[in-house]
Amino acid sequence: MQGGSSGIGYGLKYQARCISDVKADTDHTSFLTGTLSLKEENEVHLLRLSSGGSELVCEGLFSHPNEIWDLASCPFDQRIFSTVFSTGESFGAAIWQIPEPYGQSNSSTLDCVASLDAHVGKINCVLWCPSGKSDKLISMDEQNLVLWSLDSSKKSAEVVSKESAGMRHSLSGGAWNPHDVNSVAATSESSIQFWDLRTMKNVNSIERAHVRNVDYNTKREHILVTADDESGIHIWDLRKAKAPVQELPGHTHWTWAVRCNPEYEELILSVGTDSAVNLWFASASSEKQASERSAEASRQRVNPLLNSYTDYEDSVYGLAWSSREPWFFASLSYDGRVLN
Amino acid sequence: MATEAAPMDEKAKRMRDLLSSFYTPDPSISTPTSSISTSFDNINGPSFDADQYMDLMIKKSNLDVLLQRHVQMAAEIKNLDTDLQMLVYENYNKFISATDTIKRMKSNIFGMEGNMDQLLHKIMSVQSRSDGVNTSLFEKREHIEKLHRTRNLLRKVQQFIYDLPARLQKCIKSEAYGDAVRFYTGAMPILKVYGDTSFKDCRRASEEAIETIIKNLQTKLFSDSESIQARAEAAVLLKQLDVPVDSLKDKLLEKLEQSLDGLQINPDEASKLAEHNVSSKDEESNNQGPAKIHEDAVRGFSEAMRAYREIFPDSEERLFKLARALTTTHFENMELYIRKRVSAADFLGIFREYSAFPPADVLLLSNSLRIIWEDVVLMDEVLPEAALSDLSAEAAQVTLKQFVARTFSHLQQDISDTLLKFDINQKEVVDGEVLKVVLEASGKAEFRQLLDENTGIFVKMNDLLIGWIQKGFQDFFSEKIHAGLILVLAQLSVVIEQKVIPRIAEEITASFSGGNSQAFIPGELCRVFHAASEKLLQHYIDTRTQKISNVLRKRFKTPNWVKHKEPREVHMYVDMLLQQLEEVGKEVKQILPQGTFRKHKRSDSNGSNTTTSSRSTTLHSDKMARSNSQRARSQLFETHLAKLFKQKVEIFTKVEFTQESVVTTTVKLCLKSLQEYVRLQTFNRSGFQQIQLDIQFLKAPLKETVEDEAAIDFLLDEVIVAASERCLDVTPLEPPILDKLIQAKLAKSKEHNNNNNKTTVSS
Repeated sequence: MQGGSSGIGYGLKYQARCISDVKADTDHTSFLTGTLSLKEENEVHLLRLSSGGSELVCEGLFSHPNEIWDLASCPFDQRIFSTVFSTGESFGAAIWQIPEPYGQSNSSTLDCVASLDAHVGKINCVLWCPSGKSDKLISMDEQNLVLWSLDSSKKSAEVVSKESAGMRHSLSGGAWNPHDVNSVAATSESSIQFWDLRTMKNVNSIERAHVRNVDYNTKREHILVTADDESGIHIWDLRKAKAPVQELPGHTHWTWAVRCNPEYEELILSVGTDSAVNLWFASASSEKQASERSAEASRQRVNPLLNSYTDYEDSVYGLAWSSREPWFFASLSYDGRVLN
Repeated sequence: MATEAAPMDEKAKRMRDLLSSFYTPDPSISTPTSSISTSFDNINGPSFDADQYMDLMIKKSNLDVLLQRHVQMAAEIKNLDTDLQMLVYENYNKFISATDTIKRMKSNIFGMEGNMDQLLHKIMSVQSRSDGVNTSLFEKREHIEKLHRTRNLLRKVQQFIYDLPARLQKCIKSEAYGDAVRFYTGAMPILKVYGDTSFKDCRRASEEAIETIIKNLQTKLFSDSESIQARAEAAVLLKQLDVPVDSLKDKLLEKLEQSLDGLQINPDEASKLAEHNVSSKDEESNNQGPAKIHEDAVRGFSEAMRAYREIFPDSEERLFKLARALTTTHFENMELYIRKRVSAADFLGIFREYSAFPPADVLLLSNSLRIIWEDVVLMDEVLPEAALSDLSAEAAQVTLKQFVARTFSHLQQDISDTLLKFDINQKEVVDGEVLKVVLEASGKAEFRQLLDENTGIFVKMNDLLIGWIQKGFQDFFSEKIHAGLILVLAQLSVVIEQKVIPRIAEEITASFSGGNSQAFIPGELCRVFHAASEKLLQHYIDTRTQKISNVLRKRFKTPNWVKHKEPREVHMYVDMLLQQLEEVGKEVKQILPQGTFRKHKRSDSNGSNTTTSSRSTTLHSDKMARSNSQRARSQLFETHLAKLFKQKVEIFTKVEFTQESVVTTTVKLCLKSLQEYVRLQTFNRSGFQQIQLDIQFLKAPLKETVEDEAAIDFLLDEVIVAASERCLDVTPLEPPILDKLIQAKLAKSKEHNNNNNKTTVSS
């Protein structure tokens, strides 16, 4: 969606929760999205923004055996992605490869590269290492954090290390620090935990209840954005984790997901169950803010909310910025509509 | 020329001609006529031709003549030669002597410059010397003149001093002390210096006279009967006479301080009196009595002060100190008094009585403030430099702050006391009432009373007060004592916004017709309070929904929904949900005003309620069953279609300050949360049926409480839809079973209520 112009829509057949930007595809602005349907056959859609930027075209449609709860595209190979899926009773996670020449057949099957089958409980998410070439993966279930090493040629994934977060913290999601390959933030029931992957230890935490989503600012180190049920969006400086640097009012109901723009550090996008997508302007620099606070604050108070897109009729769960063209983003609502 | 030259000596004439020809280079010009007229034989003519002459001579004359002529000519030539020689010599001599003179002059000129300089110097020095002589002589002359004048003056002085005693006596007789003092002080230095000499007698006499004058003046100064002006004059005169005034000053100051002490006792008494009579109705009159006394005293004090200031204009600082001391003691008294008042109320400890106090308190406070302000104004007139108004403004601010702080702390204490002493219901009521009373007291009464004073100081103070009260709210706010309290505060700020501020504005415009009330901007304050109230309300709803959301979270996270058992009864969480909502409803009902329209009347009688609700339940369950069975058969696609045709219900609307709006918003948010939780789970048939049952049960009570039925219906349906979407095997319960289970639940809850009633009755 560009500026205030109305978005480009795309309808999925079924309900869906997750959308992901295909980072490795440098030629097109593409997104992957997976459906969430209990009874029907689920699909993974590869969407591409047409060259004019006026249309969202389905480039590939692949059947997926189970309902998809989370989906992440591999940062170095555009054909590889991971899903977290559920069969109703149990959860699984796998890495898939889109078969070569994709887009020809309408509903082809995906090649399973590897199955991440070290989990027992409810798997929440799979994270790819953000540094690009590294083939490390992290998968999270409610109690455990597992680091995988993927060998795509051999079609296998090995558990490098595994650590239990303990029964009391049920992890719900996380984000890999783009500035430090060894640091991962995970959200749990009562706090945000920071894990060091070398030692697989919890090194730090921010006490904050019911955090739904977390994202690092890719442009600015130490800045973390969280979304939670009650009080909207918080911007944290990891060096001063006692209190948030800034608070944004968020949504009228839960704020489900939040993402920082990969290029413009001040832009934050959030989606919520009030069927709205909000674009925020937050000058989140903590150092500058100390001096500019008075001037800045007055301006921010005037309008931190740049735009609110309320084209949806149902709760919005999925959100992704395009990494190729940072002024595009895709959001996905529960009833299966994708907007760009 | 020839005619002229004839009488002249020929020789001389020739000489002259020669010389003239010598000196005139062009003789043709000077003698043109002569050259023509003269004949060729004129040897002296310019046109003389020697050959012609010779021919002529030879032809004319004989030898003798020729010889004679020759001799004659030779002699003439000789003469001419000598003449010429003579002339040349003479000229030469002259020339030489001229060159000599020039040479001498040249040599002389060389030394001339130095000599000239010397000359100049000399002339200069001569001039300066003459000037110096002049000035030195002038000084002396001046001196002489001065001396002469002094002598004249001295003569006069002598006359004056000799006359002095007599004059002083005359003055004493006529009581013209001022003149006497003037004369005396005029003569003083002379008397002091030359007193031992010839003026001895004079001095003694005049001193005696002056002593009597001093005595007279002192008596005049201390006699109260004399007018202030006379006293002041006396004091001034005394001071001029070098009489030690300090002791006098001290005496006067002591007097002043004594009167001041009297003043200070007065307010004490006044407050004591007022305190004693605070419960009785006639406190006003009591209060005014001492106030009048006090006012008189203050007036006296300021009069004295004025006099004193006139008498001793140079000792203002002490006066300032005194005045300041007076005001500070005033305010100290006030503080003490406030403390006493508040603590007294503390000891009484009963809210009703306390709640009756604040107005009286405020009345007293503002009364005493007014008195003090008047005092200050009075004193300010006298001592404009003392900056008393600033001081008192400060002090008043402090006192008021203290007062507000105390009221607030007291309020807080009260609330915590009530929390301890009463059970929830009563607490709510008392909370509300106490707060409202205090609010009215501290808000309206205080502001109005203060504004009645019609003094600029209070405008300043208003802002402070408001700011302070806001801060007090924020303190409350951060403590998060109780969700209900937040609501109360929200309402409080609304009241302030809607009622108090316009009132203040009115008062201000009434009191300042000049329109100098820029310090007070009602619009801005309204905005602040409005924002605060909205925030507070939002916060209240947030805290409430959070609580409920937690209940829901626990409900949905714990069981394994995929292996859920057959539903047997409505789940407990529904009860909890309803209980929470009921609590919200209660709080809201007590504090917030009713909305303009209400669809349902809430009746407390249980019987009629159940019948209507059961009827509506069956009605809705019919509808539900139909739609559900339809949904069970239909595919997801169809639900989408159905949704398309359904009007999109606005779920998230703006919250208003009405009971219904708040409750509705809370319910809506809760249901939305419920829907989201449902969407995160996967259900089996029994799980879905359980949800269906719970929602069905919720429907009736929710609709009763909430104004926006359509939205609630929509949201409840959404929950069911979400559950069916997340269900592996959608088979809804049959309506009769649903109804039966719900009836069972209702009966059970009724029984429970009855039991409760019974236990309360029995206890």
